[in-house]
Amino acid sequence: MTPAPARETTAVRSTGAYPVLRAAARALARVVPVAVGVVLAVFFLLRLVPGDPARMILGERATPESVAALRTRLGLDLPLPQQFADFAVRLLTHGDTGDSLVYGTSTRALILERAPVSLGIVALAVAVSVLVAVPLAVTAARHRDGIVDHLVRVIPTIGLGMPLFWVGLLLIIVFAVTLRWFPVGGIGTTPLDPLRSLVLPAVAVSFGLVPPLVRSLRAQLLEVMSADFVTTLTAAGLSERRVTYGHVLRNAALPTLTLLSVYVASLIGGTLVVEKVFGINGLGSLLFNAIGNRDFPVVQGIALYCAVLVVVVSLVVDVLVAWIDPRTRRGASGSTGRSW
Amino acid sequence: MSRPHLRRLGRLAPLALATALVLSGCAADSGSPATDDASPQPGGTLTFGRVASVTSFDLNNEITANNAFAIDKVFEPLVAFDSTGTIEPWLASDYAISDDGLTYTFTLRDGVTFSDGTAVTPADVVFSLQRHRQVEGPLPLEAPITDIAEGTEGTVVITLSAPYTPLLSELSGFSNGIFPADFGGKTEQEFFAAPVGTGPFVVSAWDPAGDLTFTANKNYWQEGKPYVDELVYKLIPDDTQLLQQLQAGQIDAIDEVPPANVADLQANDATRVVTQGSWEIEQVFFNTQDPHFADVNVRQAIAHALDRDGITAATTFDTAQKADALIPPTIEYSAADAGYALDHDLDAAKTALAASAYPDGFDTTLLIASGNSQRAQEAQIIQSALAEIGITVEIESIDIAAFRQRFFAYDFDLMINSGQSDAPDPDGLVSFQADPEGFSQSYWTHYTNDRVTALLEEGRTTPDGDARKDIYLEIQQILANDVPYIPLFYPSNVKASTSAVHDLTVLPNGSVRFQDAWIQK
Amino acid sequence: MVSGAGATVTPDAPAATVHGRTPGFWRRAAASPTLIAGALLCGLLVVVAILAPVLAPYDPSAQNLTGGLLPPSPEHWFGTDQLGRDILSRMLFAAQVDLRIAVLAAATPFVVGVALGLVAGYVGGWVDAVVGRLVDTVIAFPFYVIVIALVFALGAGETGIYVAFALVGWVGYARVVRGVTRSLRGAGWVEAARGGGLGRARVLWRHVLPHVLPQAVVLLMTEILLIMVAVVTLGYLGLGVQPPTPDWGAMIADGQAFVTTKWWISAIPGLAVVSTGVALSLVGDGLADAWRVK
Repeated sequence: MTPAPARETTAVRSTGAYPVLRAAARALARVVPVAVGVVLAVFFLLRLVPGDPARMILGERATPESVAALRTRLGLDLPLPQQFADFAVRLLTHGDTGDSLVYGTSTRALILERAPVSLGIVALAVAVSVLVAVPLAVTAARHRDGIVDHLVRVIPTIGLGMPLFWVGLLLIIVFAVTLRWFPVGGIGTTPLDPLRSLVLPAVAVSFGLVPPLVRSLRAQLLEVMSADFVTTLTAAGLSERRVTYGHVLRNAALPTLTLLSVYVASLIGGTLVVEKVFGINGLGSLLFNAIGNRDFPVVQGIALYCAVLVVVVSLVVDVLVAWIDPRTRRGASGSTGRSW
Repeated sequence: MSRPHLRRLGRLAPLALATALVLSGCAADSGSPATDDASPQPGGTLTFGRVASVTSFDLNNEITANNAFAIDKVFEPLVAFDSTGTIEPWLASDYAISDDGLTYTFTLRDGVTFSDGTAVTPADVVFSLQRHRQVEGPLPLEAPITDIAEGTEGTVVITLSAPYTPLLSELSGFSNGIFPADFGGKTEQEFFAAPVGTGPFVVSAWDPAGDLTFTANKNYWQEGKPYVDELVYKLIPDDTQLLQQLQAGQIDAIDEVPPANVADLQANDATRVVTQGSWEIEQVFFNTQDPHFADVNVRQAIAHALDRDGITAATTFDTAQKADALIPPTIEYSAADAGYALDHDLDAAKTALAASAYPDGFDTTLLIASGNSQRAQEAQIIQSALAEIGITVEIESIDIAAFRQRFFAYDFDLMINSGQSDAPDPDGLVSFQADPEGFSQSYWTHYTNDRVTALLEEGRTTPDGDARKDIYLEIQQILANDVPYIPLFYPSNVKASTSAVHDLTVLPNGSVRFQDAWIQK
Repeated sequence: MVSGAGATVTPDAPAATVHGRTPGFWRRAAASPTLIAGALLCGLLVVVAILAPVLAPYDPSAQNLTGGLLPPSPEHWFGTDQLGRDILSRMLFAAQVDLRIAVLAAATPFVVGVALGLVAGYVGGWVDAVVGRLVDTVIAFPFYVIVIALVFALGAGETGIYVAFALVGWVGYARVVRGVTRSLRGAGWVEAARGGGLGRARVLWRHVLPHVLPQAVVLLMTEILLIMVAVVTLGYLGLGVQPPTPDWGAMIADGQAFVTTKWWISAIPGLAVVSTGVALSLVGDGLADAWRVK
């Protein structure tokens, strides 16, 4: 008997007219409200926070006249509805949330310049985490309740309790300062450097990713492994390894994949700390400075960019999960409707 | 100049000023380093790590350090100050002041050209200074100038309506740099995107949110300088990372050194530390409009309760000097040795408090900007010290933008902040901190003392000399007794580099004269 | 039929029966070494935190400016910090502060998330869709923007932390609870309860909620840990608990400058955070085993 789904997946059915168009419309129906919500929230949230960007740009001892002149030049003394209208127009026509108040360059250009590095950290961290988590979870599930299982369940949790900056500092001290295998920070200039520079940050991030992935995947594996179809396959003569990796894993991976997409979402907007510790001038450090300087356009731009990217990633993951899920592939009933 | 970025660990702090390494007070034409035996080797790229990026080269509209210390590599003023704060001829080879103090005549140095090869003429000087006056920027010329005009034979004449002793000092600031008349035919925006000046370096690649690369100015008027071919301002926003990258040899020099690490760097042969007395004063400020702090007895009690030696030692790791007067020793007429400051004396503190309207103590709040761990430590020490005389202090640590908003609105009881001079003359600093008519209203304390105000006015018009010295000594004595603010210590400018970098000349405002620096191969 | 320990909550084998009792829970709990170890460790931490005023050898705020940065010694087991304060004493009081903040900050999201998940899962329709979009928006929002902005806006202190997590932290519970609720919606006994005349709220509260709580509570353990780590990280960014209140995050941040020379100043509070993390994870895992949730 097939295991009843404990988690639901998006039904991506190939039935009905204009399936692609309908899928695209559904996707848009998810992205747009989120984007609008984030944009509105950030716009007004930022203006609730005390602090004047002109004062941050000019410092404490600048004359009030020069600060006032700067405020006018930056359009900060316009009434709020007008500021929002200008902002919305610029966003819709240029796809840009405005020029940075501090740097003067367009936010879109800043984001495009900085995003690759941050995405690189996320991508590398995901790769590392998956490469570590899958074997660990499989081993634990196969030796259920044994010593190995307990070790695998407990040891990664140590990583959960280690704040990211602490892990980063430790990694720098051990691998960069003492062993000199990696640079202590920054990106570097030679072609090989960027990859080398991202290894320690990615490893630091994976400390927090591996434990939940292991936990989720192990639980899923255990559930699937005891299903009847597995017994059938094993009885039919398939090797354990083939059964595990070919069939069990594919079934078990789905909810973990969904979980991973949630974590990736938090990473996309959350490379702030790891970039600070490793001295990487990516999107996270730009965001941190922009908030401190009250550089509204930049904060708005980064928030919007992250939001859209997160929704896109989760949509892609949904499609991926539906594609992998043999139930939806066969078009069989079993998917009980959309997940969030 | 202030620093608009968030810094986690506090300010730099150097060795005792008395033993400050003065690296090469660079005179106009000579290039001989004062302390280094080896002779300079030309060539190489010097990568300098800084915590903030350069966002603008419009010198008349800038005031903050991150931009100022890039601007001063490209544009130069008529006169400049060296690492001891002494004013020396720079683009002007000579200057003369009329007897009545109203006319200043500057003779332009021969053969100085802009980086594009065009000669510097008095017309350029006039244009630059006039533009500064028109623009009304954040660091304006305060002098009562009536006219700036070309004089005879390569001179520029500045006429004042009243004597103004700090004029040369003001002119030595980065915001009074000289640039081509009419921006060399370009628009303002075009010009400042690719600035042309007389300075030792030329901008070659510039990311306003990232790194800045200079190349050496081939036409620089100081023979043989700069020695390095390229200077890179690398953006590294975290001070721990700055340190780590220097120690790993990834960069050549850094702009800030956490005080706690100074000793380690000095002990390490691979790195060297350069310290220089600064123009900063770390202070506790009172809002004298608050009923408690309107009473001078309360302020004196608090001054007596603070162990400034202990604070300086514990928070700056002996890299700063305890402050006994408002004007730091790096500026003329400092009373730092005169013993005016109220000393650490708990009995005197209790007596003073008993004489006030609050003999049993009271509750109050100390406002500081977050993200500065050194200041947080200072605040905690002060909190603990005041508890001993019955004053309960709550520390309010808020982010720097909110912090500025608060104290600009005079919404504070006590705050810790840093006073600073932009120029070698004491007038700027003291006026900012003690003039109730100035826009800060005595550094946001609302302190008003008619005698001080009168003395300030006198100080501006009295020529340098003993008479002027007495004026400023008296001002500092009054301030020490009235304590509208308590100077805690004078931080120092500390830079560090690898041992291959020589002659890093540090100026008291925190800037580095990179034209003197060279890299040993 | 799925059987055996570790089974997930399915409509056919709810972790709790109709009357909210979980068969064999205490038996499994007592037999689970992870739960026992975790509970002991947690208990120890809580006891130590509560008894901090009794256990601490010094006043955590007592400064000694000439005795700063001392290494561990018989007088100061963990040495002293920059202002000469005893690190052991500060650690104990910081335990109080950090555990309190983490638990308090985790409470509101728990309640809000479970409630929203129940309603969305049970009612379905447009309510479900709206809550779903809300979840999407919150997940898409860069976490630090909210937290930092709120901490800045609400000024110094803990309020910003509580509000930030209340706004953002409910999402995990909502998803999990909504999933379970949906799958229970069609279960026979639920329809029977409704058919028997019980109002929707009553059914939710008395019958659905007990089935949903196990997973939510397991998640709660992880969330408390994540909040604590986040508070520690905020301390590193200079946005955390106000000085001079001792807090593990601020202690780690204060010691960062000395991390190569006087490593214990940062390392020891760091170990405290890690230990708490391990304890909470063990409890979470153990409960998951005992309740037979994922």
